[in-house]
Amino acid sequence: MGRYLIPRLLESVVTFVLVTIVVFIGVRALPGDPARALAGEESTPEQLAAIRHSFGLDQPVPVQYLRYVGNALHGDLGRSSRTGLPVADSIGHALPVTLQLAVFAIAVAALIGVGAGVVAAVRRRGPAEWAANSVALLGLSVPSFWLGLMGVLVFAIAYPVLPASGYVSVFADPYESFRHLLMPAVVLGSGLAAVVMRQTRSAMIEALGTDYVRTAKAKGLSGGQVVIGHALRNSLIVVTTIVGLQLGGLISGAVVTEQIFVLPGFGKLIIDAVFTRDYPMIQGVVLVTATAYIGINLLVDLLYSVIDPRVRVGGTVL
Amino acid sequence: MRPSVLRSVVAVSALGLTLAACSSIDSSAGGQAAATTAAGGAKAGGTLVVALSDEPDPLDPTTARTLVGRSVFTSICEKLYDIDAKLTIVPQLAAALPQISADGRTVTIKVRSGVKFADGTALDAAAVKTSLDRDLTLPTSARKSDLASVQEVTVTDPATVVLHLRAPFAPLLAQLADRAGMVMSPAALKSEGENFGAKPVCVGPYKFQSRVAQDHIDVVKDPNYYDAGNVKLDKVSYKIIADSTTRFNNLRSGDVQVLDTVAPTDVDALQADPKLSLLTSDSLGYQGITVNLGNADGIGKPAAALPAKLASPMATDPRVRHAFELSLDRDAINKVVFQGKFAAACGPISPDSPFSSDDAQACPQHDPGQAKQLLQQAGVRTPFRIDMIVANTPIGTRLGQAIQAQVKDGGFDLRLVPTEFASSLDQTDAGNYQMFQVGWSGRVDPDGNISNFVSTEGSQNNNGYTNPAVDKLISQSQSTSDNDARARLFGQVISQLHKDLPIIYLYRVKNFTGVARTVVGVQMYGDGLMRFKNAGFAG
Repeated sequence: MGRYLIPRLLESVVTFVLVTIVVFIGVRALPGDPARALAGEESTPEQLAAIRHSFGLDQPVPVQYLRYVGNALHGDLGRSSRTGLPVADSIGHALPVTLQLAVFAIAVAALIGVGAGVVAAVRRRGPAEWAANSVALLGLSVPSFWLGLMGVLVFAIAYPVLPASGYVSVFADPYESFRHLLMPAVVLGSGLAAVVMRQTRSAMIEALGTDYVRTAKAKGLSGGQVVIGHALRNSLIVVTTIVGLQLGGLISGAVVTEQIFVLPGFGKLIIDAVFTRDYPMIQGVVLVTATAYIGINLLVDLLYSVIDPRVRVGGTVL
Repeated sequence: MRPSVLRSVVAVSALGLTLAACSSIDSSAGGQAAATTAAGGAKAGGTLVVALSDEPDPLDPTTARTLVGRSVFTSICEKLYDIDAKLTIVPQLAAALPQISADGRTVTIKVRSGVKFADGTALDAAAVKTSLDRDLTLPTSARKSDLASVQEVTVTDPATVVLHLRAPFAPLLAQLADRAGMVMSPAALKSEGENFGAKPVCVGPYKFQSRVAQDHIDVVKDPNYYDAGNVKLDKVSYKIIADSTTRFNNLRSGDVQVLDTVAPTDVDALQADPKLSLLTSDSLGYQGITVNLGNADGIGKPAAALPAKLASPMATDPRVRHAFELSLDRDAINKVVFQGKFAAACGPISPDSPFSSDDAQACPQHDPGQAKQLLQQAGVRTPFRIDMIVANTPIGTRLGQAIQAQVKDGGFDLRLVPTEFASSLDQTDAGNYQMFQVGWSGRVDPDGNISNFVSTEGSQNNNGYTNPAVDKLISQSQSTSDNDARARLFGQVISQLHKDLPIIYLYRVKNFTGVARTVVGVQMYGDGLMRFKNAGFAG
């Protein structure tokens, strides 16, 4: 096990170091001096020099990097050059918002997508399939920012049943949290719902033509039992894989949704940080993201070795 | 030393400033300097949600730089002086206007008595000195240039602070009516140090409660405030909403009750909504085109001939710049780009300013025919090619395109270079540009709109403009406290700027603030800042 584990761990450490170096150099290669971005319209050369000094930007890049890594290892990601607030706190506030939104959006997508997919597969060539296909096409082709704006105009202004913006933690007030996240989740989940619907439909059509479904029908099971208990259950394996793969995409897609519904999430945090050249914030966000990805990959690698012993013996799956 | 009250600045009580109870759009030349929603009848309690267009920087008066930050400060950090609806300066934390010695180099300020900071500690002259000293010495201070004239601050008794100046400097009073005049709690400065901005403690109707980056800043009623009895609201929550459409939709849905920057495109819709009202005031700033005349080696370096890739008669021949200006139809720009909601401007001083004059408001007529003649006289071949940096925003692009279309008639081939804001400042500081469309938010004392930009040593003179006559006039305007004389001197400066055209002024924005009709007592002056001290929900 050790012969397998140690190289994997070393690999992860090397990847991590490389990511931090690339990000560190990358943000500094952006045009636009962060001191100038910070100073805005009011700045003298002396003030710019003072700002650069206070954030250590007057030091050589390798020195800045080592200092940053040293502090990060102690859990100190620095302070935002824009707000002066600790980066770690800001990330701590933003991450749960985006995760909650993404999970909610997936739930919406699965509910709508699977439901419509099943209907489309069972009622083939009928108005139900036509309607489900149309909804799917609409979900895929309508840009989320437009859908979001329309949602606000209809459900927050014309018929004020939902709030236009804001975030309430699910732990603080579950009902208000649901109300605040419903529209963003539907908007974010609409594109995914369409993908899920198409996948469910094709998987279901395939399943409905298999021998075990025919057998189930022959045994006298009701239509509902055959569709839900047998065909859908087997189709869900494909659907679950698709949904899992889309999670990363949802988090990046949340950027637009977060802007429209003023949700203080991860996407909004990094976009604003890039525009204000907030180096500590950009680095912090990327560091946390990279750590999560590397950590999950490492975990998956380790799980492979537990599930399939050939992985750790030969190093590759045969 | 014979102290004399600064008579030239007439104090008008800041209370009862309901002169402009109307909130209609005024696109006439005169404009309006202030607006308030209906006053009185506010019930106690409630949380007012205010949408800000941008994220403020740290809420530290010493280092703060953003306009939205100033909006939040109006609730939590009062100043030695403030402006009133007529843009005159009135005492706030000071007991009266300062006494200025005959030689103009000693400014004596009496501090209001019985005032406590939000942490319960007392405000006295020593606290004022602590704040001013910090402004003068903190390495990252953005107030150093505001207070550059101050050599030393001394305390003569617990209620009196004296500023010793290097030379007489009339704009100082206006600086003390802005962030340089904010007084911070010495106890909090000691405990928070450089991180004071994360937990600011000053004197104000509200005190800082919490802040979440990119989301909100909450301030709550301060029971220690000297006028707490007149503060109605329990809490003001500033919500950061960058997108103008989203911001406006939130006002319409009732999720926010006050909107700090209504886009000109939304003004008509807002006025048509019976649940909303619009507050309007003329901005003290301007928008214009900065022409690179001699910034060859970067800002702060002596003016020199531009390198070959940037050199053109636009930099060297004033006739070409005049031709460019004559090609512009400012009213048409206002109509096309801003639905006629803003006002054409030909100079850096607002017509509402007590320092305005006929010279300051002089404006050449749109005349593309004459522009062509001037280009001919200057001996340049038309169409004359020139580049201009514009903001890479929808408004910036639209403005650039309107200018591009107009100057074509005058014989110019204007190429737009859309650039992200931070990058454009970098480029223009370095002198790597020919023309730059940019604006300035404006200051109460017009010196703040002029000297830094056009005096030879000006900290923001990124156009390499140098004219000893202008430098002399600016210096004279800074050393006299006679407002009439200052207005005359500003007029002379602007007349000279109209000849040299280092900056071609274009238009002056209006501050549009949307307010739900359920809210009363919101005040907005020419500085564009919302004041919620007397605000509340209608009873």
